[in-house]
Amino acid sequence: MRVGLPRALIYHYYYPLWKNLFEQFDVQVVISDITSKELIQKGIKVTVPEICLPIKAFNGHVINLLSKNVDYIFIPRFVGIESKKWFCPKFIGLPELVGYSIDGVKDKMLTIDIHGNREDTCLLENYRPLCNVFNITEKELKKALKKASAYWQEFKQYCMKGFTIEESMQILNGEQMVSNTHPEITLGLLGYVYNIYDPFVSMDIIKRLRQMDVKVITFEMMHEKDIANVFSKKSKSIYWTFSNKIYGAAKVLMNDPEVDGFIHVTAFGCGPDSIIGKLMELDSDKFRKPFMTLRVDEHTGESHLQTRIEAFVDMIKRKKFAEQRRELA
Amino acid sequence: MKVSFPYMGCVTGYKKILEMLGHEVIMPQKPTQKTIDLGVKYSPEFICFPFKVMMGTYIEAVQRGAEVIISSGGHGPCRAGLYGEVHEKILKHMGYDVQVIIFDSIFRDFGTFYTHLKKVRNGASLIKLIKDIRFAFQIICRMDEIEKKIKILRAYELNRGDFNRAWVEIQKLYDKCWTQQDLEKASKIAHQMINDIPIRKVKDDERIRVGIVGEIYVIMESSVNMNIEQNLNNMGVEVENVQYISDWVKHNTRGFFGSSKAEQMIGKARRFVKMNCGGHDMENIGWMVDFKERGFDAVIHLMPFGCLPELITQSAIPTISKELKLPILSLSLDEQMGTANNQTRIEAFIDLVRNLKSAPKTEVKEIEDEVWNAKLLKQELAG
Repeated sequence: MRVGLPRALIYHYYYPLWKNLFEQFDVQVVISDITSKELIQKGIKVTVPEICLPIKAFNGHVINLLSKNVDYIFIPRFVGIESKKWFCPKFIGLPELVGYSIDGVKDKMLTIDIHGNREDTCLLENYRPLCNVFNITEKELKKALKKASAYWQEFKQYCMKGFTIEESMQILNGEQMVSNTHPEITLGLLGYVYNIYDPFVSMDIIKRLRQMDVKVITFEMMHEKDIANVFSKKSKSIYWTFSNKIYGAAKVLMNDPEVDGFIHVTAFGCGPDSIIGKLMELDSDKFRKPFMTLRVDEHTGESHLQTRIEAFVDMIKRKKFAEQRRELA
Repeated sequence: MKVSFPYMGCVTGYKKILEMLGHEVIMPQKPTQKTIDLGVKYSPEFICFPFKVMMGTYIEAVQRGAEVIISSGGHGPCRAGLYGEVHEKILKHMGYDVQVIIFDSIFRDFGTFYTHLKKVRNGASLIKLIKDIRFAFQIICRMDEIEKKIKILRAYELNRGDFNRAWVEIQKLYDKCWTQQDLEKASKIAHQMINDIPIRKVKDDERIRVGIVGEIYVIMESSVNMNIEQNLNNMGVEVENVQYISDWVKHNTRGFFGSSKAEQMIGKARRFVKMNCGGHDMENIGWMVDFKERGFDAVIHLMPFGCLPELITQSAIPTISKELKLPILSLSLDEQMGTANNQTRIEAFIDLVRNLKSAPKTEVKEIEDEVWNAKLLKQELAG
């Protein structure tokens, strides 16, 4: 049996988990191609025009999988993985968004609803529908989930050591990682995994920044507890799980004297980002830290992105060195 | 306290309750182009349109002296639940000393709800508070009832503008009500006023009825939806809107009063979508089914640009329209207030609906559709 995973949205965060889980049932995991202009264009053609870029890309990946002769395409409905917190409505309505947009996908869709309060999503209730599809018993599923969860936790441990998701995956596969050279400045890179780790959408922004001797910190490199602790109990929290993580990460990093500035990567038309973007902008003003918003969409042109991050990094470097000289003098 | 609130739906009701509690009310103005421009200037670029309009309304109210703004909240996943927090932050950043009080669900967090209530009730006893709220709610219900009637009858008025003039008078009438007797008297006069307006008689099978569904703020507030109801009425079309403040209050206090209409609608939507995504998306799909069942001729779906839950509805609309055999027009609204585009689209849509109704019933064959599609595909492949 072949099950397709669209290389989009939350895939970047949960890929190790799902791959491990499916392979335990002798299922061949097929991943869609790396995002390209053609792939996104196909998605744009079928999706409602004003929706955000990540959803358009997701539909493009599903169309790509349809041509790969798969038996099922895994499209989970993410409702919530924390109590009193949700995912963006587009995640909750994802099966509908895909099913009503693309012809012939409905009978290939493998949908499970993800509820509960575990970040690894590995609750038996969530994955129970898989029993019938893969012809396995609940006991086998339970065992497999435990194993997959442990594997994913290991992956997360590497992330928290400061490796990117891609690097963590490579370490899991047994490759050696050399820690990078001496960075001159540190930047907080704020954005969802599906924007930052999609090389087409973010145009490999992490690599570009590292080439400029910048140390990059993203939200998944930080500990859950630190992020959760910055919010006072009184204030109303941001009720989208990942938006809350990013806003929390920003709050932690604002207080960190080592962090010199922030880049917020957001997709055109992102709803939750319109709120946390403004909140972070107002906060950065208060903490007097440089803050830049990079809004990306389906238009491809690397030069504007390169120019903007170069200029931003140069300004921060200049400011930092001037301060250091003043201290020495 | 000098208190203000967002302009949405039946504002007379909110004004009444705050005045009865002894506050000085800074009456928000109906949003104008200037309000919208002001809101757009200070709001995040990609936030939904209602946020921007409210932002503008608040700034105008604060400039006229409001110290406290009262609004309702939510718990997600729709963005509307965070409006209050962001509004307050932006207003403070602009240098205005103003407090935004948000009433969230009483069932989720009673503590916060109660502290807010204490601030607003201004020392009044709980009994007086409940009495006042009940009275204001009654005003809202009565006014909504009349508004519903106007939106149907206005399609057939003989002298253009009669109903609107009457509505202005009726609003003033209710504004002066302080006791139950006043209210009964006002209602009687109001209904009489509506019934006295001359209308032309139309045969039952010639009536064109259109339902309006969509995001609550844009379908309720005529100044942000380019007066769509009036427009449709002018074309001789009856309109039924699905959202009224009275219904919204009933739905949000259903813990006290049992199941609401919205819940029935959600049940009807089950065949198309499985889960509600935060706003009124599932309810709206349910209303589409309901309108079809009640024999309506068409549905117009309104949403603010980039509205998260309504985008899910919008993706499903082509399928729903096909399966229900019901014409549905989806319009998305934002701060670009040029009317020509939407006016043209609505006129064309109503023309089609009218023709569909008067045309002899013919079965459209699906096969033709397929042949046509195959042809189109061939052409496309050929470039």
